[in-house]
Amino acid sequence: MTRERFISEVRACQGQLRRFLASLCGDTALADDIAQEALVRAYVASGRFIGNFKAWLFRIAYNCFIDNLRRVRQPAADLDAPEALHVAGGEESDASFKHEELQRALVRIPEKERTAIVLHYFEDLPVKEIATVMGIPSGTVKYYLSVGRDHLKQYIRL
Amino acid sequence: MKDIEQYLRQNKPETPDEGQFIIETNARLSSVEGIKDTVDAERYRGRLMLVIALVAGLVIGCLLTLFVMFFPVPSAETELSAFSKAIVSLKKWETLLLVPVAACAVALGILLMNRKKEVL
Repeated sequence: MTRERFISEVRACQGQLRRFLASLCGDTALADDIAQEALVRAYVASGRFIGNFKAWLFRIAYNCFIDNLRRVRQPAADLDAPEALHVAGGEESDASFKHEELQRALVRIPEKERTAIVLHYFEDLPVKEIATVMGIPSGTVKYYLSVGRDHLKQYIRL
Repeated sequence: MKDIEQYLRQNKPETPDEGQFIIETNARLSSVEGIKDTVDAERYRGRLMLVIALVAGLVIGCLLTLFVMFFPVPSAETELSAFSKAIVSLKKWETLLLVPVAACAVALGILLMNRKKEVL
């Protein structure tokens, strides 16, 4: 894959990639760092790429996120801190509050459940594609989605 | 369940603006261009070696077969060993034996292709 083609493919899905990572780690700056690292890894390996670029890139990004998690070994981001996540929400005020509440809830649930939830509800990926990204069977993804929803209900006022 | 699903879909965060991201990505990609060239060259060398090994195997196999055909050992001079007897009896059932082997090879090929698609 040429660099121009790689960049044009990245341009098409960079927003979703960064939103996915921001939702996973709860910190947009860290998410961008992980996204850059994933893109570098993807570019070096792009000669081997076959198939769905977005799913492939998301899988690399997810692996980078896991690597980062193991390296840092920190608890989830402290959302009370002033530099805590500010991913742009839809409408202002109420919508913004709801968005922050959702983000706060997301970082409290286990990482695998969070990943499945974010990929399914934010990135609209089907279960089969989520299974490819996470490297687990489809049945396990469905389980994580179900348990993740139950866990989220405990932290969100519907 | 519908409530939480609706809530999640309604409060989906917006995608961040491209901003400086692509510019920074381009700069990082420039710094790893050399590594990518090395990786690509290694992969090319690996494929080349595979093709060379395949061709060499075919050529040597053909030459050996021809040698055996043109210089057969007279059967009167040799007494069949146990191994040769086994080979001769296998020869009778070669078609039946080759079918499952070929099926396994095709299945393995498909599995490897699917695995390759899965990523890194």
